Amino acid sequence: MANNRNAARNARNAQRNAQNEARNNAARSAQRNTFKEDEELEEQISLRDIARIAQYLKPYGGQLVVILAAVMSMGAIAVATPYLTKIIIDQIIPNRDKPGLFMLGAAFLVMILVYEALLAYRTVAITKVGQSMLMDMRRDLFTHIQKLPFSYFDSRPHGKILIRVVNYVNTLSDTLSGGLVNVISDIFKLLLTLVIMFAVDWRLTLWSLVLVPVLVVWVRFIQTYQRRAFQILSNKQSNLNAYIHESIAGVKTTQGFAREREQYNTFVDQENVVRHQWMKSRYWMFLMWPGVQNISAMTISLIYFIGITGFAGVDVTTGTLIAFIGYLNNFWTPVINVGNFYNQLVTCSAYLERIFETLDVEPEIEDKPGASRLPAIRGRVDFNDVVFRYEEGGRTILNLVDFHVEPGQTVALVGPTGAGKSTVVSLLSRFYDVTEGSVKVDGYDVRDVTLESLRSQMGVMLQDTFLFTGTVRENIRYGRLDASDEDIERAARAVHAHEFIEELPDGYDTMVEERGSTLSAGQRQLIAFARVLLADPRILILDEATSNIDTRTEEALQAGIAHLLKGRTSFVIAHRLSTIVNADEIMVVDRGQIIEHGTHDELMAQRGFYWRLYESQFAMFKAEQHEEA
Amino acid sequence: MYVDPKRSAEKSIGNIRWVVPYCTPSWAKAVVALLLFIIDKILVMLLPIMAGMIVDQVIEAGMTERLAPLAWGMVGVTLVRTAARYGYQVLMERFGLDALVRIVCDEYEKLHTLDFTYFNHVRNGDIMNRMTADADGIRNFVGWTDYQMLDCICLFFGSLVVMFGIDWRLTLALAVVSPFIFVVARAMSKRARPLFFGIRQSLAGLNAMVEENIEGNRVVKAFAREPYETQKFDEHNQDFMQANMKQARNTRRFMPWLDGLSYSLQLITLVFGGLLVIDGQMTLGTLVSFNSFLWMLDGPTRQFGWLLNEYQRFNASCVKVRRLLAATSRLDLDAKDALRVDKETVAQQQNSAASGEAVQQTNATVAAPVETVKPVSTAASKLTKLANLAKPSTAATAAAAVPGPDEGDSMADAGAIDLSTAERIKPAKPVKRELANRHMAGEVVFDHVGFTFPDDPDTPILDDVSFKAPAGSSVGILGETGSGKSTMVSLIARFYDPTHGKVLIDGVDAREWPLDTLRKQVCVVMQDTFLFSDTIRENIAFGASQNDDCYIRQMARIAGADEFITAMPDGYDTVVGERGVGLSGGQKQRLSLARALADNPSILIMDDTTSAVDMETEAAIQRHLKELDGTRTIFTIAHRISSVKDADQILVIDHGRIVERGTHDELVAAHGRYWEIYRKQLGAQTADTGYDNRSDRDEQTGKED
Repeated sequence: MANNRNAARNARNAQRNAQNEARNNAARSAQRNTFKEDEELEEQISLRDIARIAQYLKPYGGQLVVILAAVMSMGAIAVATPYLTKIIIDQIIPNRDKPGLFMLGAAFLVMILVYEALLAYRTVAITKVGQSMLMDMRRDLFTHIQKLPFSYFDSRPHGKILIRVVNYVNTLSDTLSGGLVNVISDIFKLLLTLVIMFAVDWRLTLWSLVLVPVLVVWVRFIQTYQRRAFQILSNKQSNLNAYIHESIAGVKTTQGFAREREQYNTFVDQENVVRHQWMKSRYWMFLMWPGVQNISAMTISLIYFIGITGFAGVDVTTGTLIAFIGYLNNFWTPVINVGNFYNQLVTCSAYLERIFETLDVEPEIEDKPGASRLPAIRGRVDFNDVVFRYEEGGRTILNLVDFHVEPGQTVALVGPTGAGKSTVVSLLSRFYDVTEGSVKVDGYDVRDVTLESLRSQMGVMLQDTFLFTGTVRENIRYGRLDASDEDIERAARAVHAHEFIEELPDGYDTMVEERGSTLSAGQRQLIAFARVLLADPRILILDEATSNIDTRTEEALQAGIAHLLKGRTSFVIAHRLSTIVNADEIMVVDRGQIIEHGTHDELMAQRGFYWRLYESQFAMFKAEQHEEA
Repeated sequence: MYVDPKRSAEKSIGNIRWVVPYCTPSWAKAVVALLLFIIDKILVMLLPIMAGMIVDQVIEAGMTERLAPLAWGMVGVTLVRTAARYGYQVLMERFGLDALVRIVCDEYEKLHTLDFTYFNHVRNGDIMNRMTADADGIRNFVGWTDYQMLDCICLFFGSLVVMFGIDWRLTLALAVVSPFIFVVARAMSKRARPLFFGIRQSLAGLNAMVEENIEGNRVVKAFAREPYETQKFDEHNQDFMQANMKQARNTRRFMPWLDGLSYSLQLITLVFGGLLVIDGQMTLGTLVSFNSFLWMLDGPTRQFGWLLNEYQRFNASCVKVRRLLAATSRLDLDAKDALRVDKETVAQQQNSAASGEAVQQTNATVAAPVETVKPVSTAASKLTKLANLAKPSTAATAAAAVPGPDEGDSMADAGAIDLSTAERIKPAKPVKRELANRHMAGEVVFDHVGFTFPDDPDTPILDDVSFKAPAGSSVGILGETGSGKSTMVSLIARFYDPTHGKVLIDGVDAREWPLDTLRKQVCVVMQDTFLFSDTIRENIAFGASQNDDCYIRQMARIAGADEFITAMPDGYDTVVGERGVGLSGGQKQRLSLARALADNPSILIMDDTTSAVDMETEAAIQRHLKELDGTRTIFTIAHRISSVKDADQILVIDHGRIVERGTHDELVAAHGRYWEIYRKQLGAQTADTGYDNRSDRDEQTGKED
């Protein structure tokens, strides 16, 4: 027997492991998800998820105990008042006992006052615990997401991430704080009522529990379908959200192509899918209550029948029967509440799953245990036979890239788009980890030092300029949080952003918004430039950073940052040869390999790829020359 | 649109009245639900009566033969009642959901009619919230809270009537308490309103912050600013919690009184009733049966407080949603009428806006600033393209100011002014239907065009710009960062409307063209490349009427994208991210160019489209584009001379003005700003090829291909 059970458990574990592995693999293979695709679902309601929730309750254990005590006291009062009523009606009034009536009335009043005082306490205390818990959970999600690699953000619509941090957590709010405490108090009431019922007549009590198994079956039945329905619903909601989010982000594109109608139609389709699934989940959810009600009515009828006919030797007085029925009514109210809570829990489990799933995504790039801080660096960079693939067995993006840069050198990377130039610099900031070989800064392997100490000494200007909502000043200050206004201005001057910033309506205090703003792409790039310079990094990476800047500004900017580049190791990716020719070292990257390197003159002399690239780019000028000739 | 968004701006319309038109198409469901509801309520009253009959007739009178029918009857009644309740619950759920879908659809549609200015000022996360959480707050009220309230009211008055029949003195004694309940409930509700709005605002802030963090995750990582972001997040997180706590404290302040008053109904019944019985003015049986109805009275009163909170949650959500729906697009379908109205109403509008602001300042419930752009020249509501275009755009309401979060009595004045302004606007003339189906030749004329942003009317972005681009010609635009180049071309696609002068396309004012037709034939490849999270194929086919593989590939080839697409593991079926983050800058630009080409526009605008593309590829793209010569008007904004050199006409823009114009040769010969730039680029690039600048002057161009 025992062996069998163990074997079964082992088999189950194995199966679960296999499932987990499959899931992890799916996640790792950087599979992209669009708004149209559902995410995977788990089949069974997971008790582990529920257990994990307990971790969030833990810090508030003490408070919860107090709240529970308060709520139970309220429950006790709620149970006691019918008893008080019974005494008044059965004894005091028939005895014409006016002082007694006033006495008990006063007692009743005291009970009400105590009850309301407890209610006042409970209202705030529960909100506090509940909201604090949600706050913790949201914070955990947020900080966790900060650790996730680019590939996580790149492989799924951002709306799907957003809905997890904000919306899903909010759906838990009622269930987890108020719901949980109430359900405990309901169970308490249930037990209390049951005790009283047993005290009144144990045989009737047993009879009134006859239908409880039916209820259990009913609840289990509904739960199975309801859970499934809610899982699908959460998925569809996630899809819809992703679509809405994308629509908002892409509204300009849609308008530009006059595709509003098509987008709208897709949206309506999505909306209808959600509506359909929503109703489906509700069909099941709403079934809970009628089940409990009908079972309650049947039980009451049964008790009347048994009590009156004396079926099966039950013999009770009329008074007992009526009192019993009264308690039986009290019995079912908490049962309904518990049922509702269960309902909510089923609903939540669908969302909890998504939340925990997010928390379980392994940050691929993390500080090693015991990673040391990278001390202030000089700026030497070594790539030792670096091989990089996004995923195991995937396409080789970089193949045996090996180069060494002395502090203060300027390195230009050239090559066709998609050759791997951006990947090279991404490895340097450790946005990705190398598959083979190593990347070293001042002799420290980037994997051995803390991410924070590494990245804070590196300035990266990305292709994609992103500014945060806030003032121009705040955006520049993002580079160094303790920078003074003068520092900010100095940085802005250095990159020739000062002039146009001064011309803005509120100067440095002009608000800029996420992406769309009244700033031009070039202006945003200049601000981003100032932001990087303010950070005063030892290693500077400019990834097509000047593509949107006009020649005049770029020229000025080049002059301005020339002295800033001094003493810094810098990597420049650009298409304009004017940015490239003066580099100490030019590396030509093609198909993930460095095929040529050297100074401009050396490479021109080699008459290789660089030379061809250079020549072809001047086809226009060459043509003119020929015609001239 | 299901409902004219104008209604959303109307402050005189309360939130409940506002939501009604969104619900009415599903009225049949509500009617059936109401019938089922009534059945349920009647049966619910029947149950205690049947229980009473069992006690009276079977137990007291000993008529045991009635036990079975009564017991079965109770089971049967419960069955019918629960079925009825299930029925109306489901129907009402659907009813609420239908309303939600209509509202969100309207929001979605509205969103796409707004001009760029709106998106420059409202954060994506905030908009997102209005379309999800806030819309859901409305659904919850329509599909649940309302009938719960009805339930309470029915029970309350029903039981009052029944109890009055049993003993009027006792009922009157209980009724004495109800004014207090009413007063307390009202006070709570009134105070709860801004608090719920605060919660909504705080949530929107949280959402926007997280959204931005996700969008900007690369920057966050690049600067290792995770701790700073977390700190920012904590503030929002904390703020949201505090908003909830404020609401909870308000509930604590009033709810115990409400609950206590309801509770005291039992006490009054017992003590006062008891005295009556002891004094012989009432039988014990009457008191018992009176008592058995008491739960019908005190249950609803207790619940009502919570439902009022729900109602205020609904109100807060409505305000947010209405603001989005009432937001004004500054583009109007009919320019001339709008301009005429402009002069008449400008004073009025300023007036109304001012008074609106004043009211809002004095109104304690206002938690957030009004977020639309200032009331501007054009009228408020634009009929969308999806609405019937031929319909006269009577929608022109001047209610440019958005409703404040409270449309109570204090708003009446502002509302009245808005209305009077709205009435002044003459019905606009019908949009020219014939333009809708016309194929655009592509001639573009700027006639003394000026432009300023509404939030900064003193800084002209464009100033007296005039030029003519004949159909099929190419125009190159060169200028410094922020000189107004992008704004200029945005006027052609009507992402903004000029504040002075006009833009003529094929001789017709751009504002007269139906927006849909205009944008279908004018295509802008923007600096800020946005790709949808979909396959490359779908992304390219986004605007295209044709989407066979051959065509898509052809377009990709012209844009110089075919090569790298086919090199990808899944080729054209590769899924790219929202911002196309899996691709390099140059690849994204080429995809968006292919997308624009596939749209087959009459006017193609390339706004710095090839800046991140290497020169070799760019040269190839230009060669391919030449194949299309003459079939479309092409505007090219660029910083590289090489990108604009071959254009039929080159405009050099500085501080919103055209400072030089002409062909490459002319401009080079003129030795002006263009020549300067040319020399610099050439100088830098040909430093060691021994190229001589003298040869600039008389060269012949355009034959190198």
